[in-house]
Amino acid sequence: MDNELFMNTELPPAPEMAVHFEQPSSSSAMLNWALMDPNLASNSPPQDCFMWEKSTEQQQQQQSIFDSALSSLVSSPTPSNSNYSGGDGFIIRELIGKLGNIGNTSGDIYGAPMNSNSRSASCYATPMSSPPPMMSRTTPLTEFSGDPGFAERAAKFSCFGSRSFNGRTNNSGLPVNNNNGGKIASSGKLTRVSSTPALKALASPEFSRPMMIPAGGSPPKLPGEFSRKRKSVSKGKSKETPLPAAASPSPSFSKTAERKDEGEKGGKRRREEEGDEEEGNKGNDTKPPEPPKDYIHVRARRGQATDSHSLAERVRREKIGERMKLLQDLVPGCNKVTGKALMLDEIINYVQSLQRQVEFLSMKLSSVNDTRLEFNVDALVSKDAMISSSGSRVHESGLQLESLSQHNYNNHSQLHTNVSSNNMMLHPPLKSLEPSTLPRGFTHLPTLTQFNDSISQYQLFSEEDLQSIVGMGMAHNPNHESQNMKIEL
Amino acid sequence: MAFAENHINTDVPEKDVFALHFLQTLSNLSTQNPFSSPDKKSDRVKKIKKAAYVSMARAAGCTDRLWSRALLQRAAKRNNKIVRFPRRRKRVTWLRRRSNRRDPVEEAAAERLRNLVPGGGEMKTSKLMEETAHYIKCLSMQVKVMQCLVDGLSPK
Repeated sequence: MDNELFMNTELPPAPEMAVHFEQPSSSSAMLNWALMDPNLASNSPPQDCFMWEKSTEQQQQQQSIFDSALSSLVSSPTPSNSNYSGGDGFIIRELIGKLGNIGNTSGDIYGAPMNSNSRSASCYATPMSSPPPMMSRTTPLTEFSGDPGFAERAAKFSCFGSRSFNGRTNNSGLPVNNNNGGKIASSGKLTRVSSTPALKALASPEFSRPMMIPAGGSPPKLPGEFSRKRKSVSKGKSKETPLPAAASPSPSFSKTAERKDEGEKGGKRRREEEGDEEEGNKGNDTKPPEPPKDYIHVRARRGQATDSHSLAERVRREKIGERMKLLQDLVPGCNKVTGKALMLDEIINYVQSLQRQVEFLSMKLSSVNDTRLEFNVDALVSKDAMISSSGSRVHESGLQLESLSQHNYNNHSQLHTNVSSNNMMLHPPLKSLEPSTLPRGFTHLPTLTQFNDSISQYQLFSEEDLQSIVGMGMAHNPNHESQNMKIEL
Repeated sequence: MAFAENHINTDVPEKDVFALHFLQTLSNLSTQNPFSSPDKKSDRVKKIKKAAYVSMARAAGCTDRLWSRALLQRAAKRNNKIVRFPRRRKRVTWLRRRSNRRDPVEEAAAERLRNLVPGGGEMKTSKLMEETAHYIKCLSMQVKVMQCLVDGLSPK
């Protein structure tokens, strides 16, 4: 939303502007800040990550920030609904006071991110919170950095503004970051991803699990996957973040320090270095993240819960939805219905109707003349056996049962052994429906005379029936049946 | 895309296999119960129905599909007795636990579906959907075959 707001003030993109601003920011205070944190070097998060999020928009945002016109738009942090809103407002006020004359613009700068934060407050609850805008004027920056109290406070108000911070970082590091980011996630669709690497770098154990993604830092990652992972990670982070942020200000502190450091060094080189560092970090951190590969396909969109249960639940729901689609195609009339419950109702009705149909048909079948059925089946079975034993006669006899017999070809050979006696009115050996016994029904090996008899019987009684069966038009297993079907029809 | 590796396979079973199984079973039935015997009509109907279902399950491949396996198991268990197909199975506990969080309407619908699909009580919902899809295909196939049989065999 704030992006939209910023869009209104259209300024020509000027990345160099950002750089320009950064460079003066290399003040002694900043340096000190950076040095204060020994972990900085090792912990420095990947910079490119910050780039992924709507770089262009943020660019514009930045420019607009420079444009003081923004101030009116985002002036008041009060509208923010987040829990931290009070704290944010407080901080902002303080910041404004510190910034002095520049206070108006900088305050606006903070205000804007805060608005965005308020929208999705928890998601942004990263340690990133504190970092002052690098593109903001040099003087305020140094002032910020010089004040350790501010850093701590900022760390505590974790929600303060990863977003805004991202925007700023983007601006400063724009050229290089774009390259790096483009490599990894050319899609650049990641929202909120930006903060995750930092978290990882902070190496708080809780993060490690959702973090598995960093493993993705290795080359094989696909952009899509990567982005997804990132997202999920960031999601996972969002819930957990407040704890570490509150408990240990140090991570956030280091983060800010590092930021400052970046700002001071300015530029692309610094970025690149950090990128390298990040790579190294990734390599180091890769181990823990590796195992939970299952999460790769989990996507968490904005506002979605990210704990493992929710993720699993979402995966499950996706699966169900997929199957639902499959069912939708099967069940007539299911396309019109919307909603899973209604669709399920439709499916249930369909299954029930089918089962009822089966019952009805079996009722009808039971009323069918017994003798007729018996003859028919016997003929069918014996003929089957005959065909399979003497395949050459299949065509000359013009049998409609070809396809049937072909299916039995396979099991017929071994079933040949138990040939029952040559009774025309076969009483098949199977008395039960046990799967093992049923195949024996195919094993009657009729003699030649039986064959003839069976043919005559068959043609007498059931030619049309079987034709109907075979020619029913369900054309599966085309390789088996297609030619047979042609012959028959 | 995400689930591309476990492709949902819902191939229709061979209608001929089913037809053959079914006809054989029918012939068995008729030979077991000589048509002169005063066999109760309802009993016969049930037997035929069972034969139809078992044939379908066998045609579908006994082990590939949960529903066909469940169906056959049930049929084998009470071999000569009447099999009621929509029969409830005991459910797994975790399903019950989890279902609290879910949409009750959907859950109720899925529950009803579970009772319809053989062996559905033991499936997770996603699996249930998959099995249902296959089951529906098989059922429609079965209905078609039986319809053909009835049409062909019924006296003109």
